[in-house]
Amino acid sequence: MIGAQAAWLFALSLGASAVGGMLGMAGGIFVVPALTALGIDIRTAIAASIVSVIACSCGSAAPFLRRRLTNIRLAIVLELATTLGALTGVLLTGTLPTSFLYFLFAMILLVSAQQMLARRGEPVANGAGGGWGTSLDLHASYPDPDGGPDVHYKVERVPAALALMYAAGLVSALLGIGSGVLKIPAMDTALRLPLKVSSATSNFMIGVTAAASAGAYYARGDIVPAIAGPVAVGSVVGAVLGARILLAVPSERIRALFVGVLVLLAGQMLLEAFGIRLSGGRP
Amino acid sequence: MNHDRARDLERRIAALLHVGTWTASAVITVGMVMPRGAWVVSGGIALFIALPILRVVVASVELLRRRDFRVGAISVLVLAIIALGIAVGLHGRATAL
Repeated sequence: MIGAQAAWLFALSLGASAVGGMLGMAGGIFVVPALTALGIDIRTAIAASIVSVIACSCGSAAPFLRRRLTNIRLAIVLELATTLGALTGVLLTGTLPTSFLYFLFAMILLVSAQQMLARRGEPVANGAGGGWGTSLDLHASYPDPDGGPDVHYKVERVPAALALMYAAGLVSALLGIGSGVLKIPAMDTALRLPLKVSSATSNFMIGVTAAASAGAYYARGDIVPAIAGPVAVGSVVGAVLGARILLAVPSERIRALFVGVLVLLAGQMLLEAFGIRLSGGRP
Repeated sequence: MNHDRARDLERRIAALLHVGTWTASAVITVGMVMPRGAWVVSGGIALFIALPILRVVVASVELLRRRDFRVGAISVLVLAIIALGIAVGLHGRATAL
């Protein structure tokens, strides 16, 4: 039975995930506020969103892998930290009040808005690339898009990246988002990966990170099929559409619009954190 | 690392994730249009969660077969952490009942 609610959830997640895909982010950051705006409990929204994060990651991984942009070995090493972070998040989530979750979500939205304003440049490798990058054989290469010889790159400062990835995994499990916002500094500042490799590898890791918390939430019975089902399918369709119209570096006006949307959503979540609702029933 | 075998692993994982995504989406959609299909939707969601885990299993087997023991051991550890998470969830459900 397709209820009106399922159709709504499908359409809403499709839109949220398409916007995310257009910006090269996972859609979770838009899915959770959209669901809570419908009056869905934030914990149910987070559990549904984490499934859609897996769906988006798996649905968009194949083209990156075929173009050899994903560093699988590096992803596995970093997943050690993200899944540990996710496990910590699963253990913590029951003990945290929902007002804290709203507050943390608002902060993540503001950091995303700030990152959207500061454009991301190609990180400059210092060529050091010793340490763990060498002992675990993580350095790799990808095909030159202009048909030249393969571009070789080195992986720097793995321990610093692991610490940031632990935090990313924790926030991902707590808020039901991909946490790309926190993975970007790890990829750019610590590892200094080429942008394409970093996007592909980060997207690849998001699926396993989300599976670590989603597996626990599923086993605990926190995932409501009537909500998570339409959200997951809507997100896959939205991600495919979003990738088609990818605006990874949008023009000034569109960028300003998205920054505005992120700040508005942050405002909504902050109001919720302090128990003020603009629409729907009283808390 | 052997170049052809690395490419082969990339292709296998790409195929697994691609086919898996559309299968899980189809299962969920069927469950939504079916009368009393909540358990089918739930199965589709479980399939989605299993996909990245299967991907780590595929990579672990391949790494260990190539005698790449360091990264192979790390990927087995990732699987153990995911299993621990599921155990924590099951325990949480049991104590809630």
